Amino acid sequence: MPSPAEPAPPELTAPTEPAAPASHDAAVALREVSLSYGRRRTRTQALDGIDAEIPPGAFVTVVGPSGCGKSTLLRLVAGFLTPTGGAVEVTGRPVTGPGPDRGVVFQQPRLFPWLSVRGNVEFGLRATGVPRDRRRERAAELLNAVGLTDAADHRPHELSGGMQQRAAIARALAPGPAILLMDEPFAALDALTRERLQEEIRRIWQTTGTTVLFVTHSVDEAVYLGTRVLVLSRRPGRLLLDHPSDLPHAPDPRTDPAHPALRETIAAAVRRAAA
Amino acid sequence: MLNGKGVAAVVRALALRTALPVAGVLVLLALWWAVAASRLWPPVFVPSPGAVWHQLIATSTVHDGQRGYAGHLLHEHLAASLRRILLGSLYGITGGVALGLLIGLVPTVRALLSPLVTFVRTLPPLAYFSLLIIWFGIDELPKTTLLLIAALPPVAVATAEAVRGVHADYLNAARSLGARGWQIPLRIVLPSALPEVMTGVRVAVGVAYTTVVAAETVNGVPGIGGMIRDAQRYNQTDLVVLGLLVIGVSGLLIDAALQLAERRLAPWRGRT
Repeated sequence: MPSPAEPAPPELTAPTEPAAPASHDAAVALREVSLSYGRRRTRTQALDGIDAEIPPGAFVTVVGPSGCGKSTLLRLVAGFLTPTGGAVEVTGRPVTGPGPDRGVVFQQPRLFPWLSVRGNVEFGLRATGVPRDRRRERAAELLNAVGLTDAADHRPHELSGGMQQRAAIARALAPGPAILLMDEPFAALDALTRERLQEEIRRIWQTTGTTVLFVTHSVDEAVYLGTRVLVLSRRPGRLLLDHPSDLPHAPDPRTDPAHPALRETIAAAVRRAAA
Repeated sequence: MLNGKGVAAVVRALALRTALPVAGVLVLLALWWAVAASRLWPPVFVPSPGAVWHQLIATSTVHDGQRGYAGHLLHEHLAASLRRILLGSLYGITGGVALGLLIGLVPTVRALLSPLVTFVRTLPPLAYFSLLIIWFGIDELPKTTLLLIAALPPVAVATAEAVRGVHADYLNAARSLGARGWQIPLRIVLPSALPEVMTGVRVAVGVAYTTVVAAETVNGVPGIGGMIRDAQRYNQTDLVVLGLLVIGVSGLLIDAALQLAERRLAPWRGRT
């Protein structure tokens, strides 16, 4: 099969509805969040007292050694898990379960294989009762933004891994979430596709102004994308470093003069975390 | 793109796929003919292919003022049997999917009904057919009910297993997209279980097929099973063999149709 062309897609307009009420000063607030599981002898402390606030519009990357609980942290914000200590708040409201105010992109695309690509993107709009015409319009807009207009009527299994992950991003953005939660979304892709998708998610973030919480095990990815880079320690996961960065606003973060120093700071913290 | 070599390989594969089964059938026919012609056993044990062919013609036509077999043409017997299979399977599949969803989704229902489904599944259909006749008489109702009871458990078990096997992140993704309440079982659980449910349906139709002959042992004319049963009483072995062949061939065709439906309905099977 010839590899499908993945052209640079045109700009994405911001959703017409505001993604989050502007009155809140934090999109996500983590208040002394702890999580442990298992009982008695096998009890494991996955996260220990994580305290952080994510302002609207931030691109927060979370990096750390494997098993540090960074995916667990994302699943707590998503509402798939409930903290055993502390609380998670999204736009000022405590999280009690999953909801359309938080879009999730998994490591595996997890597209619904029985729906077309367009059906997947429209799923959240349908579930929340958006009328048909409006659904079509919004799905077309999002598919255009991720460069999948021509693949709209295909089934997910007919797409390459990179295209599937683009569709998953479009699907997560469709209901206009206050924050986009991404759990190592590019880890399963080849290097070239990964780099292209990193550029694309940065562009989508810049044009829509959406808030992103992005978990990765790659220091390069965390530095390239994050306006704030959080480094988690090995289990029990604690916040080792919370480093602000202007790099994602630079024209080309990878060749920016500030890049090497920042990369070294983060890499050193991750080495400490793994030690 | 396919090059010349690729085309040749495809043609060869296709030829092999059609030629081999045809060759197998021909060899079996030749064997059958040879054994019958050798007169090793009398025709009442091994009727000749010619005799069976003759019965096929006789039962499919009106001759000597007699219409087919027992007043019905062969295709009418087949249609009667297929109608019972269709109705029984349809009820069984509907009930099986509903029951399987409940068993898979509700732990209490699982604890209550799971042993019962397994119990019914292990019973030979003929065993409860007597009970159904006492309850419902000897017309269509006990036959359809028998096929329903036979077809339901495989679908229920397949559906329940598939429902429990739905990947948690499909449910997580759906909830994160705002789906709630009835939307989860209807829009996520059922479609993602579809490939396994279709396998259950194929098993169920197969079971209904094997059960229909049992159902037609009582007041089964018109019906292929009834025809076989009556022919056995009069030692019309050629007619018995004809009935077997008709059931077997039509079963193969229906299974092929179901496989096609499965590929159409769940083209992602094995690719996610």
